[in-house]
Order: sequence, then structure tokens, then C-alpha cells
Amino acid sequence: MGIQIIVCIKSIIANGLNERVVRSSDSRELNPYDRPVLEVALRIREELSGTITALSMGPERCAFTLNEAMAMGVDRGVLLCDPALAGADTLATSNALAAAIKKLAPFDLVLFGTRAADSDTGQVGPQTAVLLDLPLVTGAHSVEPKDDGLIVERSADGFLECFEVCFPAGLTIHSSANQPRDVGLLGIQLAFKEREVKNWNLADLDLSADRVGEAGSATNVLALSRVESVRKCEFLSGSAVEQVDELINRLSASGMI
Amino acid sequence: MDTFLSEKKRTIRRSVRTFCQREIQPIAKEIDQEASFPWEVVEKMGKLGYFGIQVPKALGGAGLDTVDYIIVIEEISRACAGLGLCVTVHNSVAVYPLLAFGSEEQKQKWVPPLAKGEKIGAFCLTEPNAGSDAAGIEASAIRTNSHYVVNANKVFVTNGGVADVCLIFTRTDPNAGRKGISVIVVERGTPGFVVGDLEDLCGVRANPVSSIRLYDCQVPLENLLGKEGMGLRIGLAALDTGRIGIAAQAVGIAQAALGEAVRYSKQRYQFGVPISKHQAISMMVADMATKVDAARLMVYRAAVLRDQGKSFSQASAMAKLFASEISSEVTDLAVQIHGGYGYSKSYPVERYYRDARVTRIYEGTSEIHRMVIARGVLGD
Repeated sequence: MGIQIIVCIKSIIANGLNERVVRSSDSRELNPYDRPVLEVALRIREELSGTITALSMGPERCAFTLNEAMAMGVDRGVLLCDPALAGADTLATSNALAAAIKKLAPFDLVLFGTRAADSDTGQVGPQTAVLLDLPLVTGAHSVEPKDDGLIVERSADGFLECFEVCFPAGLTIHSSANQPRDVGLLGIQLAFKEREVKNWNLADLDLSADRVGEAGSATNVLALSRVESVRKCEFLSGSAVEQVDELINRLSASGMI
Repeated sequence: MDTFLSEKKRTIRRSVRTFCQREIQPIAKEIDQEASFPWEVVEKMGKLGYFGIQVPKALGGAGLDTVDYIIVIEEISRACAGLGLCVTVHNSVAVYPLLAFGSEEQKQKWVPPLAKGEKIGAFCLTEPNAGSDAAGIEASAIRTNSHYVVNANKVFVTNGGVADVCLIFTRTDPNAGRKGISVIVVERGTPGFVVGDLEDLCGVRANPVSSIRLYDCQVPLENLLGKEGMGLRIGLAALDTGRIGIAAQAVGIAQAALGEAVRYSKQRYQFGVPISKHQAISMMVADMATKVDAARLMVYRAAVLRDQGKSFSQASAMAKLFASEISSEVTDLAVQIHGGYGYSKSYPVERYYRDARVTRIYEGTSEIHRMVIARGVLGD
């Protein structure tokens, strides 16, 4: 049977800024922080053999992210797709993902990116792991199979931490973990010809509507606006030594050094 | 605006665009200026299947259709027209004739390494005295009991400087006129096979265009493609397909120029506003965008007809004629919108301008295409 890996991925807003965005492959893309995660899963499968399932949540037109994952080599894709799931914050999202992951059991490893490039919270991975009662290592940049588990390394504040992790477990993968493989033409052909995305709705998850979507969200986005920054350029005067002294004073006064 | 395309085709476009933005765009200026062929990138392209786009999976290809193919060519050409040219010529007029006219043995021998990009293909027809007049070639192949002795002087061979498998158009019967031309496959390394100096071109400079000369090359009889006398038929079938690829290349160049013109016009201020707010410029952009879109749709139509197994010669001729001509118009306007900076190598639009020009010349000049289209309409 080999190792069973579930990778949670997200389609993110590629451009534009609205409070609720219409998602399609024209305005959205696979979260770039999820690509190294897929690469980790593919490399583990190459070493241990097994199955990789990509899991995502969104409207049906977001299935393209799962197609891309399958074009990279993932075995199957599951899309959580139901109007009741819309407008979810990270807690409601985690509720839905955890329910889906339980339904996909048995599994050995659940992988997440460290964050999504649009919302940038970094919360879904840890929240989902807690709901599943999984041990979790975050920001992993090195993942090596060993015996019945993994040796995982992460960097934290100038230190290198090394963990031994037993299955089942969860990891969030740091974006610097690897250079993800490109999606090849044959992979795309096979993904669309031989693999399909399964759609699961709320009933499939066996969850009540008040646990998911806007109804299940503990937080609510009140406003979203672009930060406008005005750049100023000032030339310091005097000799080089005087300029350096002035610069040090200003940096020190601002708390930067 | 390709929302009418299937998700699969849009996935192909996104994946190729991502690769080109990361691997090709950063080096495009350098490989143009130095006229250098980027082997490292070409190797990566081979592994992604760009050199066997429509080759069946059983022969090492990706098994995609013609619409998928032109999407790939447009995206590569948008980043670098010279590399787009390499891939389209390899696929359309080197690999395709082998698939369409080759024996099983020939297909098994040559197609898999070509499809994986391990070998590069070339189409060798043009000679110093035979361009549009393809039937005027003087290359000869004399048949003996065991081989052909081939003598040829082929010029302007796209991929010539790097090609491993060359389709040489040559006369096997000097007395049979148009029906005396045959195609013989000759591999680099055959004694007497000489690659001439690279052409110092105005545009598509990353492509190693060169002459290829054969001096009494002894080539196995099994290297004949199809039958003797089928040369022009093979050539025309190849070019019918090839011109769809060139049209896609022209669209890619034009799209790149349009993108740069839009970007520049929004950030260049004159008379207190971005120049995109001046009607003279916005009208230009509207015309450019419309022409690029129209050309792209003509290329799609030719590709769809081909995939449907229907006659597509007229459609591909029209697509190539229109796309190449608007590509010159659009790149010219892009330079104009950039003003003085458009004339400087600091900005990419001068490269697009140079790259676009040749699309009106190769794989059938605009004049030849007008003849083909007129014949199709008038029935003469």
C-alpha cells in the first residue's frame, strides 16, 4: 500500500482586490507556497511508494489547482465544494478540511504550506492538525523518511531544529524547502485524461452548516484596502564621515539599529 | 480572453508561461545579443515535452492536439522568438513528416529521441537559387545498390547549427521535374555532412540558423522518407502544418510587444498624465489588441480544422499571412509608443520589432501565401 499522503492546497487571488472574489483560473492561481509542499510529497512517494491525495476547498472552477497538482504527479484530487463553505475564515476552513481528511483515512501524513499568498494568516495548517489531534512540525525545510516516520528539520531564529516524527503526523513545509518540479505537457495530458477530481459537498463531510463557511467563522473581515506608501528620498549633505554619522543617528533614533 | 478554451488548455498555457517567465525571459536579451543557443534551457524544455508536443505517448511524446501545440509555441515565442522558432520547426516540419510519412522502423528510430528533445530536427529545402521556387532545387541523390550519394547546399536552415536529424530535399530523378524530388533523412556526423557558419541575423538570433552542405554523403537507402518523387508532397504537407506554428510564433511576438506597450504607456508621464490617457496612444493600443486577438483566433481556427481532420490549407495560409503582417504592425507601434526608448536595446520592444520581420518571409513569404489564398478563393 505504501505511504498515504494528503496535501492541502489552495487557489489564491492572482490579482485584483475585492472583499469577495469570483474565483476562476483566470483570476486565481495555485498558491505558490503550496508548490514546494507538493514536491515534498512527490519525493517521499518516489522513495517509499504510496498514494498522494491533493485536497482543496472552493467553488468548482477552483478545481484547476487540483488538476495542476495531478499534472505534477499527484494521484487524485478532492475538492470540497458547497455554497455553505463560502466565506470561511481559517477556523471554518480547518473544520471542513479536518472532516475531509478523516473521511480520507487511513493516512500517514498531512502536509500544508506555511501560508497562502493572498490571506497570509499561516493558521490553517496548525488549526487543522489540532482538530485531527496530529503532531505537527511547522516550517520544515528538510523532510527525510526514516524507519516508520520522518526526520524533519526546521530553522528557527538562527537555530537548526531536528525532529523525529512518527506517523500519522502533520507538517507545514517552508517555501525554501525545494525547487518544485515544472508541470510537463505529458503530466497535464495524463491528469486530464486519466485522473479526475472528486467533488465533496457538505453532506459528504457529515458536518453541520454552522461549523463551516461564513456561518462557522469565528472572525469576520470588516474591511480590505490597499496600503498606499509614499516614498521620500532625501540626500544627506556633508562629507562622507558626516553623512555616515547622520545616518547612524537617524537609524538609531528610529529604533532600526 | 481565452475563457472559451478548456481548463486543460488553460493549464497548458499557465504551465508553459510560468516556465518561460522563470527560465527564458531573464536570458532572452542576452541570447539575442550574443546569438547564443541556451542548451541548459533547451534540455529542460525537452524534459517537459516541448519537443514532442503532438507525438503519441508510445513514441515518447505528450500526445496533445494542434490547439495545445500552438498555445505552447505562442507562449515560448512571447518570451523568446528564436526559441519559439526552434520548437515549432522541430515539431512541425521535422518530426511531423516522420510521423506522417515514415515507416515503422524510421519512426521507432528517430521520433523518440526527437520527441524528448535529445535530438533536434531540421528541414532543409531552401538553396541559394531556390527559395519560393522550391521545385528549383539542385541537390542531388544518386541511388546505388546500397545507398544514396547525396550532394546538397542548403541555406537558411533553422536549427541548422545544432540539428542532429535533417530532412534533406533532393532530386532523385533529374528528369522528372517536380516529381523528381525526394526527402532523405541525413544525420549529423555522416561523413561529408558539413554545418556552415551561423547566419548573423537581424532577429530570432537565439536560433542557430546556418547552411548545411553535403559532399558525396553516403546515406542508407532506408533513410528515404516515403517514396521517391514524394518530396514536394511531403514538403507541402509539412509547410501546411508549419505555417500554423509560425503564425502562433508571430502572435506570441505581437502579444509580447502589446504587453510592453501597455505597461510602458501607463507609467510614462507626459503633459501631466500617463501617455495611455492620450487618445493618440489609446487608439493605437486598441488597434494593436484587436489585431493580436484576431490573429490568435485565426490560428486557433486553423488548428481546430486540422484536429478535426478537415482541409486546413486555406485557413493556415490566412492565419500565417495575417499573423505575420500584424506582428510587424504591432511591434512597430510598440516601438512608437516607447518613443526614443523603443529604439534602444534597454527595452525589449526593438527585439520584438526585429523578430517579427522574418515571420513575413519564412515558411512561405506573404506573397506566396497571397497566391495560395487567391487560388483557393478564385479557383484558378
